[in-house]
Amino acid sequence: MKIHQWLGHTFTLERRRAAFGLIAVALIWEGLVRFLDVPAYVMPTMSAVLETMLAQRQVLASNAWTTVIEALAGFFMGSAIGVMVAVFVVSIPLVRRFVLPALMTINSVPVVAYAPLVLLWFGTGIESKIALVTLAVGFTVMLHAISGLDQVDPKAVALLRSFGADKAAILWRLKLPTAAPLIATGMRVATVRSVIIAIVTEMLGSASGLGWTIYQGVLQIDFVQVWSGIFAASAVSLIFFSLIAALERHIIFWKS
Amino acid sequence: MDMYTCDSMPSSRSEGSARSKLLSLAGMSKSYSPTVCALNGLDLSIEPGEFITVVGPSGCGKSTLFNIVAGLEEPDAGSEIRFLNKPVNKASELLGQVSFMPQRDLLLPWRTVIDNAILAIELEGKRRADARRIALDMLPEFGLAGFENQYPNQLSGGMRQRVALMRTFLFGRDLMLLDEPFGALDALTRTMMQRWLLDVWQKHRRTIMFITHDVEEALFLGDRVLVMTARPGRIKLELPVTLDRPREPDIVTSPEFIRLKRELLIAIEEESRKSFAPTPSAGH
Repeated sequence: MKIHQWLGHTFTLERRRAAFGLIAVALIWEGLVRFLDVPAYVMPTMSAVLETMLAQRQVLASNAWTTVIEALAGFFMGSAIGVMVAVFVVSIPLVRRFVLPALMTINSVPVVAYAPLVLLWFGTGIESKIALVTLAVGFTVMLHAISGLDQVDPKAVALLRSFGADKAAILWRLKLPTAAPLIATGMRVATVRSVIIAIVTEMLGSASGLGWTIYQGVLQIDFVQVWSGIFAASAVSLIFFSLIAALERHIIFWKS
Repeated sequence: MDMYTCDSMPSSRSEGSARSKLLSLAGMSKSYSPTVCALNGLDLSIEPGEFITVVGPSGCGKSTLFNIVAGLEEPDAGSEIRFLNKPVNKASELLGQVSFMPQRDLLLPWRTVIDNAILAIELEGKRRADARRIALDMLPEFGLAGFENQYPNQLSGGMRQRVALMRTFLFGRDLMLLDEPFGALDALTRTMMQRWLLDVWQKHRRTIMFITHDVEEALFLGDRVLVMTARPGRIKLELPVTLDRPREPDIVTSPEFIRLKRELLIAIEEESRKSFAPTPSAGH
């Protein structure tokens, strides 16, 4: 592939516009803060934030790493549990009638409301964050997986049965692939959620992570640190989302 | 326990002639509720290698009949099924014993042509590589050579149907049940597919039961045409198709074909009118 082709492929019009927008916002930010002489505790300059991020990159990276681990562990555990519970709920009508409404009730309370309890039970280490992310991701993925499994054509199930397929084979060869596009959508939506939950829980009780970085910055009236935490969190969230979205396009190829 | 109450086929036959039946159904009934009766006392027998076509008014229980023979639904108590000369106690014993092809192709969009074709034999436990090798050799015969790595959404309706038929053929059971396989195709494609199916059938010598709405299709393909009554379904007429094989497309204009077609149309017309009758002909 020629270099200009590669550039055209990687930097599509849409991405170039997004990059242009970001640069424009940064310039306006920098210009306004300098021009209006806004005090740093209200709004630091963009350049000051970037400088601090560069200077403290090791501390920032280690805190970002904590958040990434929490979000990823919770994300994958939640996804696996969500799919398993969905299969269970869908295959047993009685469970669907009685257990599902109970699960929905738990889900209707914002997950973060459980944070103080979870911190009490699991401590202020990464376990409590992983538990809450798992809960949030698990519900999102489960609900998507249930609607995906509901799309399975009973005629297709009958066809596989006529070929002598047992329940496990039907689940593996037909039901899960049929539900896969919606499961993937649920997982994509859950990426951003998992980073948010990890950060918010860190703010409520922890000794490391980007949420902790931001919270400490506020306590110490160090708004440059607050903003570097925010920037790092945004980057983590964006990269996570893009990776999962790319994986989704690759794996669920038949839906595009 | 092997009581034959079937009057169309006396049970006093010798072992030898009973052997020649691939499938026989006697007194087959199926009701979904005390008031909804889909089949009522249906008798039917099929010999190995036969091509049987089934026609009848809509909702006459043709699909119910197929579902039972495929093992997907249980008939009412008292219905008798013999398959390969052995009594079948529960229809579900037939699961995995017959090759069933439903009306829609039901190809899996995430599988390529070749992997859709091998679905049934893969479920049987054949290794994927071996199954693919067998299927690759069969592709040209089904007009799919070179398409093995395409996905279903890249194929025309006729090709999708051929992939579904190939899946059914590869399953290699003695009896194939085809439920209106060409119903959704345009007239030209359908004619091509009928001729092609006859070629393939003559080469493989499999037994086929074929549901259709199209009287000409039933005659062009079948050794025997079964006309079903309006609900509850029974066999109203069993018409042997006295047309030589191989059949050329212009056979549909021959006097013999027209005569048979007239006979069929009269029988179907009678039944269709019954199902449209203002007063319910509810006999069960």
